[in-house]
Amino acid sequence: MEKIKFVIDGKEVEAIRDQCVLDVARQNGIYIPGLCYNPEVKFSGGSCRLCLVEAHQAGRMSLVTACNYPIREGLEIKTDTSLVKRIRKGIIELLLARVPDSDVIKELAAEAGIDEPRFVKDEGENYHSKCIACGLCIQVCEEVVGVSAIAMLNRGPDKTPGTPYKKPSEVCIGCGACAYACPTDAIPMEDNGDTRKIWGREFKMHLCSVCGKPYIPEAQIDWIVKTTGKDRVFFDKCPDCR
Amino acid sequence: MAIDIQKVDEIVFGYEQSKESLLPILQDFQREFSYVPEEGIKRLSDIFGVPESRIYAMATFYKAFSLVPKGRHTIKVCMGTACHLKGAPFVVEAIERELKIKPGQTTEDRRFSLETVNCVGTCALAPVVVIDEDYYGGSTSENIIKNLKRYT
Ligand code: SF4
Ligand code: FES
Repeated sequence: MEKIKFVIDGKEVEAIRDQCVLDVARQNGIYIPGLCYNPEVKFSGGSCRLCLVEAHQAGRMSLVTACNYPIREGLEIKTDTSLVKRIRKGIIELLLARVPDSDVIKELAAEAGIDEPRFVKDEGENYHSKCIACGLCIQVCEEVVGVSAIAMLNRGPDKTPGTPYKKPSEVCIGCGACAYACPTDAIPMEDNGDTRKIWGREFKMHLCSVCGKPYIPEAQIDWIVKTTGKDRVFFDKCPDCR
Repeated sequence: MAIDIQKVDEIVFGYEQSKESLLPILQDFQREFSYVPEEGIKRLSDIFGVPESRIYAMATFYKAFSLVPKGRHTIKVCMGTACHLKGAPFVVEAIERELKIKPGQTTEDRRFSLETVNCVGTCALAPVVVIDEDYYGGSTSENIIKNLKRYT
């Protein structure tokens, strides 16, 4: 792996060629906002546009998304210029119009000094709850879990993650990985005693044989046993009691 | 509505088992059944080993696909600039009132589906309504209702 040096906010730092700007910035304690990027997932990022930064290279400047911009020799990144701030503010304002109820977005808006978006809010039929349609949930379900219970439905302003025909998914294992991965907490998951409800389907939870805590859906155990060959006995006890 | 699974299989097995075939198969479903049926997506998912959610998502992405059965006749009202200026919105309204459906919907008796499109390329005839393959130029809220009667 080829190490190279590049400049970010006036500071010279070391990085691996082709590493993304956002990763290196975070490693060096430089804050760039960003919701849709998760380094654990191969195809993530590039959709919320919040991580916009100035990239200076060969005498040219362009605005790029830090989460998928590769670091090369001679690159200089500026994360906090007035241009970046202005454009980012516009993006936050658009997101706020799409998901006026999202706490994460509301917080970003407050920081950027936005009270109310100037754009029409998505309401009624177009109500997206808190979802910014970043696709992380879908990518996690596909890449990490491996079941692809959900996909990105429709397009344009109607774009939203969901199950086929908005029916309870037959392949979902109730693991909740999508809900944990969601940056805006947009996926409702209800744990209630020994049942869990997610994407319109109810799952029976497995109880720990020691502490009695419901800790994993039975369907998830089935899936892990089936795909990894792990012994079912392993799941008798919850991680805390193992 | 029951779908002929044999017909589904005929279409699916007519293609090479690759991701590239998904779109043309969905197009064939649309042509054959006038919509993309759930049974078709399920079967295709089983045979190709592609998640159902992925195929369903494709079907929701493209305007050319309908997930509910379409009517026997499709009414396309042009909403391009010329037609719009020459009164297309009134024509749509008249059809909506007559058939009691909105654009994108199908009448209960499955006789008509109503769509609005952006320019059919015959601006000289504005406002244009296309029913199946027939072009009706100079449409008004009166004559379009008369023209609908030709389709059963
Ligand atoms: S539900 Fe969350 S993770 Fe999924 S697309 Fe919406 S914002 Fe992204
Ligand atoms: S974090 Fe880079 S676009 Fe969302």
